[in-house]
Formats: sequence, structure tokens, C-alpha cells
Amino acid sequence: MESEKKSKHGKIFKWLDERYNLTGLIEFAKKKSVPKFRETIWYYFGGIALLLFVVQVISGILLLMYYKGTEDLAFESVHFITTKVSFGWLIRSVHSWSANLMVLSVFIHMFSVYFLKGFRKPRELTWYTGIGLLAISMAFGFSGYLLPWNELAFFATKVGTDIVGEVPLVGEPLLKLLRGGEDVTGATLSRFFGFHVAIFPGIFIILLTLHLLMIQRQGIAEPEDYAKLPPNEKKTIPFFPNFALRELLIWLIVINILAILAVFFPWELGTKADAFASAPVGIKPEWYFLFMFQVFKFLPGEILFLPGEFVGLLLFGIGGLLWAFVPFWDRRTPEGKRNKILTYFGIFVIIFILVFTILGFIME
Amino acid sequence: MKGNNSDTSIHNTKSKRRDFLNIVLSGGFIAWLGALLYPVFKYLEPPVVEEVKVSNVKIGAVEDMEKDSGKIIRFGNKPVIVIRKQNGEYIAFGGVCTHLDCIVQYRKDYGQIYCACHNGRYDLNGRVASGPPPAPLTKYGVTIKNDEVIVFQEAS
Amino acid sequence: MKKKIKYFPASALLLIFICGMVRAQSNDECYKCHLDLGDAPSKIYKTDIHFIKGISCAGCHGGDFGSDDMDEAMNKEKGYIGVPARNNRYQVCVNCHNDENKMKRYGSSLASDQYEKFKMSVHYKPSYNNQGPIADCITCHSVHDIKRTNDPLSKVYPTQIISLCGSCHSSAEFMQRYNPALPVDQVQKYRTSVHGKLNAKGDPNAAECVSCHGSHEIQPVKDSRSLVYATNIPSVCANCHSDTKLMSKYKIPTDQYDKFVSSVHGVALLEKGDLSAPSCNDCHGNHGAIPPGFESISKVCGSCHVLNMELFEQSPHKIAFDKNNHPECESCHGNHNIIHSTDEMIGTQESSVCVNCHKVGDDDKGYMVAGEMKRLIDSLRIQDDETKKILDQAVQKGMDVSDATFSLQDVRQVLIQSRTTIHSFDLDMFKENIDDGFNIVSKAKVTGEEAIDEFYFRRIGLGISTIIVTLLVIGLYIKLRKIEKKA
Repeated sequence: MESEKKSKHGKIFKWLDERYNLTGLIEFAKKKSVPKFRETIWYYFGGIALLLFVVQVISGILLLMYYKGTEDLAFESVHFITTKVSFGWLIRSVHSWSANLMVLSVFIHMFSVYFLKGFRKPRELTWYTGIGLLAISMAFGFSGYLLPWNELAFFATKVGTDIVGEVPLVGEPLLKLLRGGEDVTGATLSRFFGFHVAIFPGIFIILLTLHLLMIQRQGIAEPEDYAKLPPNEKKTIPFFPNFALRELLIWLIVINILAILAVFFPWELGTKADAFASAPVGIKPEWYFLFMFQVFKFLPGEILFLPGEFVGLLLFGIGGLLWAFVPFWDRRTPEGKRNKILTYFGIFVIIFILVFTILGFIME
Repeated sequence: MKGNNSDTSIHNTKSKRRDFLNIVLSGGFIAWLGALLYPVFKYLEPPVVEEVKVSNVKIGAVEDMEKDSGKIIRFGNKPVIVIRKQNGEYIAFGGVCTHLDCIVQYRKDYGQIYCACHNGRYDLNGRVASGPPPAPLTKYGVTIKNDEVIVFQEAS
Repeated sequence: MKKKIKYFPASALLLIFICGMVRAQSNDECYKCHLDLGDAPSKIYKTDIHFIKGISCAGCHGGDFGSDDMDEAMNKEKGYIGVPARNNRYQVCVNCHNDENKMKRYGSSLASDQYEKFKMSVHYKPSYNNQGPIADCITCHSVHDIKRTNDPLSKVYPTQIISLCGSCHSSAEFMQRYNPALPVDQVQKYRTSVHGKLNAKGDPNAAECVSCHGSHEIQPVKDSRSLVYATNIPSVCANCHSDTKLMSKYKIPTDQYDKFVSSVHGVALLEKGDLSAPSCNDCHGNHGAIPPGFESISKVCGSCHVLNMELFEQSPHKIAFDKNNHPECESCHGNHNIIHSTDEMIGTQESSVCVNCHKVGDDDKGYMVAGEMKRLIDSLRIQDDETKKILDQAVQKGMDVSDATFSLQDVRQVLIQSRTTIHSFDLDMFKENIDDGFNIVSKAKVTGEEAIDEFYFRRIGLGISTIIVTLLVIGLYIKLRKIEKKA
């Protein structure tokens, strides 16, 4: 019986191998390995982010079956999905929760790569594509948030795009481009819908493919300290089947967590957006924008002779660029030296984000 | 031999356990896949939207329609074709062609109900006259009350 | 001897009186002269109360009444004003009648607030052709022959005042100049009323124009200061109709006002200020006031409660009530003391009005119908409450049942309508309406129950999935350990 099974598999395998040289791929896959040391656990977050992106694509496509992207139907269609469609509530809550968890895991993945110096030569481009993926993820979140066309989303979008408008020179035209006009209207919704289901997925897939291909080509990065060990002390786990099975285990748990969240913490729909209603008290953006929002709230109207918002944007801009281009200005790590500034900068950024996010939550 | 036997027996139990584990895992995966795909397929099934029960529809005054003309009206959420014959009588049928669901029209020049999609034709009793339609059109009742034309669904 | 003594004080008094009159006469040179001239006002002046009080012509016209020389007497410097102009002649009356002290000097107990009241009234407004107030003191009280108001010959005595007011208010031509919308048939209507008939017979106690509209302080009806403004009417009518002594003469009960004040209409009108609620005149009429007859009660109530009236008039009750002289709406709802109708009024229980006539028995169809209607209303209310509870439960569990909750609003509508369809006393018509309510309620109930089931279904489904995942995870973990042990 076993031999029969093998021959069945064997036949299909042979057919494909003759055409696509699967043996070569299998040899390559067998060689893939992951460094084994105390920080291996962080290596899972990239995969979790990838899993959550796939969940988003699938749940997003399902939502597309019933969602209607116009001002007068958007809210009603989401209401329809969550109340009348079988398991619509599940698909919608999973999509919303998974979005947040995806952004979270992308952040964790990025910070772990940062501290483990995974961005150093020869992996600079992997880091840059990763930054691009982070930016698109947050853009996904921002554009998707508006689609149910509810009160909170409407005002959050208004405030968010207002801040974009503060950027000097390009701010105004950029604001009009984003909003599809002067104000947030049905035109904005159409635009955001287009961004969310076509443009961003397109860009994201391209960046993701590059990101993953580069990793496959170069192999999994070794952390700084580990890399300095003599070869015979470097412990590894084979990617197939060990690490892969572990990842599968974690992925199963993550999917189940999504289900638990959807059932016990269903995502709210709120009330339909009304352009003439006053902004609700305590309006704030989603948590991954909260720290920036909170900083802006603290900025005084004017600093020296410049408008407060401009200074805020400038500082964030500079900070963001520093972060994004860390492979460029980190000279010490390629030389094999410990870069304490890097570590402190990283810790500072984490604490900064944490503090202002918490403040954003507890303050009205 | 004794030693061999014990070896094979241990080997057997080990392989049995391995097989059991594999069965559990495969079974588990299929169950998991099922639990995943079941909601997805149920989701894709269109939900039942409550139909507003319409029993009759007023379509206008008797003289509103010209003799030997037809029009499509909305009966609840279904199209119905209403024809005023040359002798002034009103008749009505379901407006959906029984071939591939296109909406039919009245053709004065044929004196028949015509479907533009594949040239199907029905006579003024709703029966198929020519073309691909496999079944006749559903008959609707028409009555005149207080000079108004009312279309209603006949008892089936 | 005794007789003579009795008559003595009386005749003495008479003598003194005549002397006084003669004295007055002898003092008033204006009067003497003008009387000789055959002047019309002088001829009638002796009937005037002012003459009796000893007031000379100069009292109003000014001048020196002691002098018989025309130039001296009618001297402007001595205050002579001649015949005052139409537009301010009332000032002459006001000079004394607005002064409390002057009134006391002449021994009068009359009030002195007439002018103040008159200034605020509608009659004070400028007349057509700007000839002063529309109506002034003289218009109503006349001049030179003014009588006491309790003198039957006074123009403003109850039996006389009707024609006085009517002289303007019944003239279409006259009233058109001021308010074409005002009716001019008040007197005509009044004469058909109970008040008017008694008044025509000479009864000064029956209500006439002044009793309701006031005298000096008359306001337009729509002005809230008017005595006949909707919210003021009940107390105005009650002035007489709650007076037991007064009404005992006519054998009319005096509990109407008290009953009305506590009734639905009274509370609405007097406490809530709802002007669409009826006042006394809306049911009884105002100028043609008469209690509605047995057969016309439903039409009177029906002028507002139209649907109830229409249904009632088509029902078997109309014929039955009229035949037995039961006042239609009143038999069940009362007249002055109409209270808020409750569901307890219908049915076969003790509190219902139906059992006043209907009794248990196969031949009393009404009894069965009453019981059935009550049962259906109660049933719908109970089901509505139950369904609301179920929907609340669903909402508590976080499920969305907004559509079903919205549809329940219609049930309230159905219940309100059913309380109207009762008046047809036709079980089929009643059921036709209330069945809609049952449909809505049962659908909403099903939706609520389905929502609650869905809540549990989700948790059970999650539980099953979690079990599967847990098994898989454990299995994978074991597999992993095995693989790694091998290596």
C-alpha cells in the first residue's frame, strides 16, 4: 500500500520535474536554514505579517462581493454584510482585526530586524523594500478605515488629510489629490477604494515579491553576535521541515486568535457619516497613527518663527528619513563594530512611540 | 529470532504510532480546512432578502395606453408586460423570457411578444410561437375598476 | 292715628326730595333756559341719573350754570366747551368717572376703572373716518338720558343690551369696515339659544352679551386677554353655571365645570394650553348655546373625532342607541367628565362599559364581540412586550436587530388604530386591522430569536474550531519533537 502511494505521488512528481526541474528547487529548499539562538523567536514575525497579508487579501476579496463603494451605499452595504450575509460578521471582523495585527506584526518585525542589524550589507535593499512595505501597510490601514463610511472614519480621514495639507509646497495639491476635491466627500471614498483594492495591493505585491526573492537569494540574515561565532558553533534549524512546521503551528494559532477576536470583540460599525454633523468629542486616528497625532496636539501654535505643525512635520520627516536610511549612515556595523548610537536611537524611537501612543489613549 | 522479533515489534509499534499521528494530523488538517472553507462558501451564497409581497399593481387609466401597444411595468420586483390589444382589451404576462431571462417586448409589426436576445416569439396567449424559448410566459390577470387598469397575479 | 304717623316719615322724605329737585332745577340756569327753548336734550334730561344726582348741564358742557346771561354762562373762559367733538367727547365722562373721589362725593359706589379698561379694549381703536373710538361711553350708555345700569330702561340693561350690541354687530355693512371675517348673525343665533329665549322673556339673569364678553374690557376673541378666549371660557360659563343658587331656579346641575376641569379635554385645554381641545362653546355652541341632542351628539363629537363617528354611525349601535334614547358617545364616554379611554373600557370584565347592556348568552352577539376584541388587544400588547424583551436580549448579546425594532413601531400604530376600529363594533373590520400587528410582532419575534440563536451558534462554532486547532497544534508539536529527536 505504501509503495502504491509513493508511486502515485512519484508519477505526478516525475511529470512536473521533467518540465520544471523540481529536483533543483528541492535541493535548494533542503539547504535553507535558520540560525538557532536565543533571538530566533523574532524570526517568526515576518512570516506572521505575510500570513496576515494573505488573510487580508482573501477576506478583502470576499468583502468585495458585497461591498458597494459609493457614499449612499457604503455604510448600508457593510451593515448588510455584518447582519444579513452568512458569516459576514466573521469576514468583516477578521478583516478589521487582521489589519491591525498585520500593522503590529510589521512593526515588531521591523524593530527586530533593526536591533538584530539584519539591514546591514548585503541586505540593504531588503530593508528599503521593507520600509516601503511598512508605508504601504499603513496606507492600506488609512484608506481601508474610511470604506465603511461611518462617522469616526469620516472625521479621522478629515483630520488625517488635513495634516497632509500642512506639508509646505506639495501639501495643498497632495491634499486635493487624496481627497478628490477640497473636502472629504464621496469622491474621496471612491479614490480611497481604488487605492485600497487596486493601487496599494499592486505596489505591495511588487515590493513583497522583491523582498521575499532577495531573502531567498541571500538566505536568512545572521544576527550580529551570532555571525561572529566560529562556524562549528553556529547552530541552525533546517527551514524544511522544522522551522516550517513551527511556523505552521504559530500560523494556526494566529488564525484561531483572529476567530476568537471576531467572536468576542466584533468590530463596531457606528453611525453613518454625516458631513454636517459636528466632529465627535475625542476623535482620534487608529493606534498606529496615534503617536504622531498626539505629538501634533502638544505642539504649540508657533515655534520660533515657524508654524507648529510645520516643525512637527519637519521633525517627523527627519526622524523618518534617518530610520529609513539606517543602512546608509550606519558605518560602524559593516566594520564589525558595535554601534551603540544605533541601539540608543532604536530604544528612543520605541519608547517615544509607546509613550505618545499611551498618552493618546488616556488623554481626551 | 528473538532479538529480531522484539526489534520488529518495537519498530512496528513505533511505525503504528507514527501512522496514527499522521492520520490524526491529516484528519485534523482536513477538519480545519473544512472549518475554514465552510464559512467562506456560506458567505458567498446570496442571502435571502425579504420580498415585499405585491398582490396587485395599478398601472393607470384605461385610455392611458394606446390600442395595439405594450409596455413593461414593475410588479413588486418582477417585470410584467402589459399589452392593450387592437380591440381595446388588456392582457398581461410575465416579462422575463423563459429562454435566458432577457426582458421581452411587444412588437406591433408581428402582433406578437418578442425577445430581442435570440429572436424568441410568443403569441398573445403567452404560448411560444417560434424561437428557442422552452416554456410559455406566466399569465397575469388584468381587471378594470373605476376606469383604472389593475394587474394582479392569478392563482397558480 | 297710627296710620297717620306711619305715613308721616315717608311723605316728609318725599317733600325733601322734591325740594331738592326743585332746588337743583332752580339752580341750573342752562337747564331752565334750554328747556324753555324746547331743546331736545333738556326734555329728556330729567330722566338722566346725572340730573337726579344734581349735576347741571355745565357739569359736562362746562361754563357758569348760575348765570342766565348767555355770554356769561357759555363763556369759554369759564370752561364752556359746547358740544364736544365726536372724537373726544368721552373725555367729559372720564373727567368724573375715572376719579374715585369725585364718585364718592356724589354718593356713588360705582367703580372708577372703566376708562382704564376701555383704553385696552377693542372698541377704543380708532373708528372708520377717524372719528374717535369705534364705540365710546355715549355709544352704549347714550347721553342726556343715561339710566342706572340696573334700571330696566337703561340701554345696557340685560334685556335691552342685545339690540344695542346688535345695532352694530348685526350690520354686515358696518362690520365689513372693521373686520369682514366677523360673523353678523350673533343676535339671530342668540335668539335660538336657551339664554336668548329666557332673555326675550325678560329674565335679567340669563346670559347676554356682557355676561360673556365683558363691558368695558372687550377684547377680540383670539386675544388671550379676552373673556371668551378658549382657555377663559370654562370659568366664564362657570360664573353662572356653577352657582347653585342661581341654577336652582332653572333646575340645571352645577357640576359641569368641576367635571370638565378634570376631564381629558379640560386638562388639555386648561393645563396644557392645547387650543385644539374643546371648550364649552365648541360642543354647546356660543351664541346659539344649546346642549346637543341625543342624536346629534355623535356628530358634535365627530367634528373632531371623525373616524370614530363614521364607524359608529355605520355600526349597529347607532340604531340601537337612537331607538332607546341613549345619548350616543356620551353613554360610554360621558360628557363633561370624559376621562382618558383605557383598554379596560372594552370587554366583558366588570370595568367595561359593554356589560352595562350586554349580558352572557348565546343570543347576545355583542357580548362575544366585546370579549373577543378585548382578548385580541390584550394579546397583541402582551406579545409586543414579549418581543421587545427578546429583542433587548439580542441587543444585550451584541447582535444587530435594528430592522426588527424599527418594525415594532408599527405595532403601536396598529394598537392606536384598533382602539378606533372598536367603534365599528364589527369583529371582522377590527381583526383586519389588528392582524397586521400580529404579523409584525411574530416576524420580529422570529428575528429576535434567530439573533439569539446566532449568538450561541457563533460561540459554539468558535469552540469547535478552537478544539480542532488545539488538536492540530498538539499533533504538530508532537510531530516536531519526533523529527527533532531523530536528528
